[in-house]
Amino acid sequence: MDESAQSLDENLLAFMDQLELLEEKRIRLNSLIEQGWFFISKARYSMGNKQVSALQYASEIKPLVGVHVRALGHDNVKFCTDLPKQKNECHNCNALVEDIGPKEEGVRRRIKSKQTSIEKETVEELSNIKSPEDLSTSKSEPNPQQNPLQWFGILVPQSLKQAQLSFKQVIELSAEIATLQVQILNSKQELKRRFQEKEEKRIKKEETTGC
Amino acid sequence: MAGRGKLIAVIGDEDTCTGFLLGGIGELNKNRKPNFLVVEKDTSVTEIEETFKSFLARNDIGIILINQFIAEMIRHAIDAHMQSIPAVLEIPSKEHPYDASKDSILRRAKGMFSADDFR
Repeated sequence: MDESAQSLDENLLAFMDQLELLEEKRIRLNSLIEQGWFFISKARYSMGNKQVSALQYASEIKPLVGVHVRALGHDNVKFCTDLPKQKNECHNCNALVEDIGPKEEGVRRRIKSKQTSIEKETVEELSNIKSPEDLSTSKSEPNPQQNPLQWFGILVPQSLKQAQLSFKQVIELSAEIATLQVQILNSKQELKRRFQEKEEKRIKKEETTGC
Repeated sequence: MAGRGKLIAVIGDEDTCTGFLLGGIGELNKNRKPNFLVVEKDTSVTEIEETFKSFLARNDIGIILINQFIAEMIRHAIDAHMQSIPAVLEIPSKEHPYDASKDSILRRAKGMFSADDFR
């Protein structure tokens, strides 16, 4: 077997492998999407029919996820998502819980039993007075990069959080599938070009032997 | 968003869009143009096609996710898109399971093994 035929076979096998991988990823993607819908339906069941719908989308929406496109050569591109890590999410959740609590710190003493305590209190109050910078940060500003879960309420059911997790996985997987799709189409073009080259060679060979 | 990458756009039914927006892909830009379209019963095919074409024209979109049954409505527009960016991904919907034989990418790949290629 000549070299060109061997490399053609190798390319064909690589193409088949890519198709197989795409099928595997597709199956996983489909099951994750189904899982996500199931959790959304569960959340809708516990929150109410109209509590999980397009009506709850925020008026200001900023993307939390993006895809980076890298050129790999041979017209291939790679799509990579920049999803935040799980640990960061938990940290953000904790911060949000603290924000929900009372804005004023400390306990107020309403009954003043002893006059001697007045002096101490004035010292405490003075120490509690915040600088204008602190006050500006403590004001509740609408955060455009807030977790989309909060569109549906502050205390959302666990199933909605699970739906969010499923769809985050779907987003990551869809970037992988997009990369694979581009590779498959390029492999197909390459194979087609090689088939044509091979055919041309064969025809030329036949012509020369015929003469 | 950490580094300014490209966006992921969605054209789908309510639950599909809600799920992906929960995942954090949604954006309303300065012109209040969203990167998603919730397709309802009364959404016209021309509206879907125009939105799809506007997503193709935007250079800040890297991937377009579209429910396969919606993709069927605008198949000619999807088949006409030959560039790798934005990549178009067909996904299932609640009432219509994914059918690989309808997928435009797989149909193009399948074309490799047609009689014309081996002639």
